Amino acid sequence: MSVQEETFLTPVVPLDFTYNYYIGQYLTRYFKGFKEKKILGSRCPGCSKVAVPPRKYCGVCNKVMEEMVELPQEGTLENFTVGHVTMEKGGRLSPAEKPYVLGLIKLDDKASLLLHKVEGVDPSQVKAGMKVKAVWKDQVEGDYWDLDHFEPA
Amino acid sequence: MDKKVAIVGFRMKSAPDLVTTRERLTFELTRGLFDDLGIEREDVDTTIFCTNDFLDGRTISNCFLEGPAGCYMRDESKVEMDALNGLMYACMRILSGQYRTAMVVSLALTGYQVSPYLHIEYQLSPIYDRQMRLLNELSAAALQARSYLTRYGYSEELLDAVAVQALSNAAANPYQARRIPGVSKEKVASSSPYYEPLKELHCYPPTDGGCVLLLASAERAKELTDKPVWVLGMGQSIETFYLGERDLFRSPSTVKAAKRAYELAGIKDPKAEVDLAEVSALFAHQEPLLAEALGLLEEGAAESSYQSGDTAVSGKMPINPSGGALGGHPVSATGLIRAAEAVRQLRGEAGENQVGKAEVAVVHGQDGPCAQQNAVVVLGV
Repeated sequence: MSVQEETFLTPVVPLDFTYNYYIGQYLTRYFKGFKEKKILGSRCPGCSKVAVPPRKYCGVCNKVMEEMVELPQEGTLENFTVGHVTMEKGGRLSPAEKPYVLGLIKLDDKASLLLHKVEGVDPSQVKAGMKVKAVWKDQVEGDYWDLDHFEPA
Repeated sequence: MDKKVAIVGFRMKSAPDLVTTRERLTFELTRGLFDDLGIEREDVDTTIFCTNDFLDGRTISNCFLEGPAGCYMRDESKVEMDALNGLMYACMRILSGQYRTAMVVSLALTGYQVSPYLHIEYQLSPIYDRQMRLLNELSAAALQARSYLTRYGYSEELLDAVAVQALSNAAANPYQARRIPGVSKEKVASSSPYYEPLKELHCYPPTDGGCVLLLASAERAKELTDKPVWVLGMGQSIETFYLGERDLFRSPSTVKAAKRAYELAGIKDPKAEVDLAEVSALFAHQEPLLAEALGLLEEGAAESSYQSGDTAVSGKMPINPSGGALGGHPVSATGLIRAAEAVRQLRGEAGENQVGKAEVAVVHGQDGPCAQQNAVVVLGV
């Protein structure tokens, strides 16, 4: 019997369990900054580059980053993509309700690029090099989505 | 490395949906290889698995394959990365002098049974990326594609040209999963948009598949085959995990891996000395990007290289004459499949896709978002 002629049961095997991660001291500081509508990064004493969001170690220099710096709220859209699909839990692709923009944003020449949503602009009009600014939720709570998106400055 | 370790045989298989089990695919491939070479499982001194726990839905996902792979009560180990890293591990085991043969086994059923995108999804940071849900394998690749096109001023048509060449080669290759007859630029350009500038046919297809390959010491290789393919050099390197800190338009880790591999192989001028490349480009833009990093194409000249046919099967630097990963990407096995495809070329057994002069081939494998980790192996006859 060839493979094509065979049929198999296909039991669904979910892996639905919970990990409780601690986010650590640096992301905690980042989100504390959000409570004051500040974007914080950590500066490396070796190469003076700034990681956004902040983290403790610079991979290039293998040094501890202790200095926290506040970044400007306005920056340049360095690179972007317009999404026409969304990836759902389980890795399934679905058509997006409408096209949306994801951008890599440079807030400072020394800072790493921050990936975020770019709204308030027709996706077909988005250009690399555009100036964009942070848009916060009215009520900030020190959580991931306080910094809601970026829009043209 | 001067002809110390050879590839003496391989088996591989890919399809959109193989309607099979991991055990059965493993048995078919490994038993097939033993029969090809006239050996039994006792002739395999060590076995290296390259499977993905997450995609298999089981931890230490090699533990249920010892029976089907014939390594019950024998020496075995595992690399949870692209299997070209496993090939390098197997080489090192033979070079240690403790083993005369080493088998590499890699497979993934990421066509129908589980989504291939979970591989990168669950490599991303659980405490940041996976909370934000902005980054995934495809959006990351799209940012890399845009960065590459912008850097060199290439038009999006380059992506179509790369995809047409790869998919045309794949259509003529019976080992490939995605074989589209008469694929054209129009067909590629009109495929569904995913994340701009990437469309469906610029991206690898969800694929079931696997590959097994037997390596042997020089002495043992002569007993097992008349057509040994020698491992001449190898190298690997990894760059930072954080996309916002990478120059996505280039691959410095591939440059470094290639440098080490070429040094071991005694290759000084890859453009002149390499006859073909099998590159694990999961997305169209990655093929020229990685070929540049491997020193095979002039930086910034990708558009003319693809337009002039230099990279075609009949060109002066054929890239992915097999069709590459746009023809199939069983996650983890892809780098090993590239090695097996290079072996077909070097033995003159690549059929319609055979390149003219095939004496030295470069093989590349990758893992991580936007090819974070890269492995390079030089093969020759």
